[in-house]
Amino acid sequence: MAEVALEGKGLAFSAGGTPLVQGVSTALERGRVLGVIGPNGAGKSTLGKLLVGQLAPQAGEVMLMGRPLAAWPRRERAALIGHLPQHFEPHWDYRVDELLRLGLDRAGRGAPTLEVLAGHFDLGALLKRHWSTLSGGERARALTAAVLAPDPPVVLADEPAAALDVGQAAALMARLRKLADGGAAVAVVVHDLNLAARWCDRLLLMEAGRAVTEAGPAEVLNSPELDRVFATRFQRVALPEGGMVLAPAG
Amino acid sequence: MIFLLPAIGLVAGLLLGAEMLSPAEFLALVADPSSPMSHLVLQWRLPRVLAAGCVGALLALGGAIFQGVFRNPLAEPYLLGSAGGAAVGATVALLVVLPFSATLALPLLAFLGAWGATWLVLAMARMTGRSSIAALLLAGVAVAAVLAAMRSFLMLALSDETVSLQAVLSWALGGVQTPSWRELALLVALTGGAVVLAQSLARGLDLLGLGEGVAESFGLPVRRFVALAVLAAAFIVAVSTVWGGLVGFVGLMAPHIARWRHGPLHRGLMPRAAAIGAGLVMLCDGLARAVLPPAEIPLGLVTALIGGPFFLLILAREVRRG
Repeated sequence: MAEVALEGKGLAFSAGGTPLVQGVSTALERGRVLGVIGPNGAGKSTLGKLLVGQLAPQAGEVMLMGRPLAAWPRRERAALIGHLPQHFEPHWDYRVDELLRLGLDRAGRGAPTLEVLAGHFDLGALLKRHWSTLSGGERARALTAAVLAPDPPVVLADEPAAALDVGQAAALMARLRKLADGGAAVAVVVHDLNLAARWCDRLLLMEAGRAVTEAGPAEVLNSPELDRVFATRFQRVALPEGGMVLAPAG
Repeated sequence: MIFLLPAIGLVAGLLLGAEMLSPAEFLALVADPSSPMSHLVLQWRLPRVLAAGCVGALLALGGAIFQGVFRNPLAEPYLLGSAGGAAVGATVALLVVLPFSATLALPLLAFLGAWGATWLVLAMARMTGRSSIAALLLAGVAVAAVLAAMRSFLMLALSDETVSLQAVLSWALGGVQTPSWRELALLVALTGGAVVLAQSLARGLDLLGLGEGVAESFGLPVRRFVALAVLAAAFIVAVSTVWGGLVGFVGLMAPHIARWRHGPLHRGLMPRAAAIGAGLVMLCDGLARAVLPPAEIPLGLVTALIGGPFFLLILAREVRRG
């Protein structure tokens, strides 16, 4: 079994009397991509926020590298976990280089230079461009570069492909896959089941704040539970090279 | 260029006044410090212009912190009610006989007033469930109106129609009095401290500009930082209000101009905003002395005449942006 980098045990969180996450346990393993799937309101994003420490669980605990998340100094935690938020719109019109510097600020020794970081994300020509002038794909690359600047061993991306076209979404997922292949523990909240099928090693299916099942993609995506949770009947097409494509049967 | 503005404001402030001076006349006065006019300019006008510069720098720093904390380009000490809160605190200090020294009471109550009013505005804006520009401004307008009414009531109820009422009135309209050299040294030291304090908040304000979630994930303790930054801004506004009364819009204009010239990163923005604020208020103070000689018009009136249209321009731009 791969090394567990981040683990949530029996996590629960309610807001205004409504339970958003109820007793969910999951683990992010080094070298693996965990996909979190489920319909709107299933508690995927809340689970993500609990795992990265943006929300404090009302029950259960989160362990980072075997130590309670809350016990980590904030700055160290910021360098260990990269969190790509679902929505990001800076309040000021930062330039790309300014955004990357803010990301690099939390990296310790051995952090890449601005130019090297920009090169990794193909942002060299965009460094002096302002956020407001970037396309959706350029924005995603700039934000990802800022978040991943300290090369965090744990990465959680909350619907990172939501505003991207098909090619940009695939490129972003490929980048996250590459991070995992390099030894990072990656979790992705993802709406597109085909992206989940293509890029994830394990899938956590959620419904109404609870974990329905967690297993390999083939097992979860072929499960009748998937149809029930999404209240639709999926047509599953096996691909010759392995994997599958899902579409609502109509 | 921006860092030359305080020097330009200083020269303008020294030349402008009931007695207007040409640069040549000014140089002659400096060369002959024994003349009565030289005494007037160097002992009266110079410390006043320098004090005006400090007040301007403080207002600009307070505005820059507020804009960064609220991530709102229209946040400003005057519009947020914090200057009004400081004014109420200072009015109490000036009119009420307190069991401790007035020298201590004035800055202390001004600070508590500024701090309390800012939190009240923030709490009211949050009660609407949104932190939109409209919610913040409406809350600021409401709190400022209540504070102005409280100040008027205190003035009517507590003043003895002699010195105290006049002092409070002229101070409430905004204006810098000529300080002693010792008072000026204290004000300069406080302004220097405010620059250092504002700079220490720069990185946190930059992170906050990414949104609370991202700032948190980049290691910023958002709640603690916001509380600290509001405290720092309230202190800075209180110092400026104690020395300069209610001077509006400088805290709006100076950070804006600095952001246009430099960009949004606060480490560079803070000193530039302070320089612009200092130059602007020194110039406005000179105009306040020069427009209707021998009378002086309130400094707050001059800054409002310039700053009001500026505010409307920015408001229109923000509304267009949605």
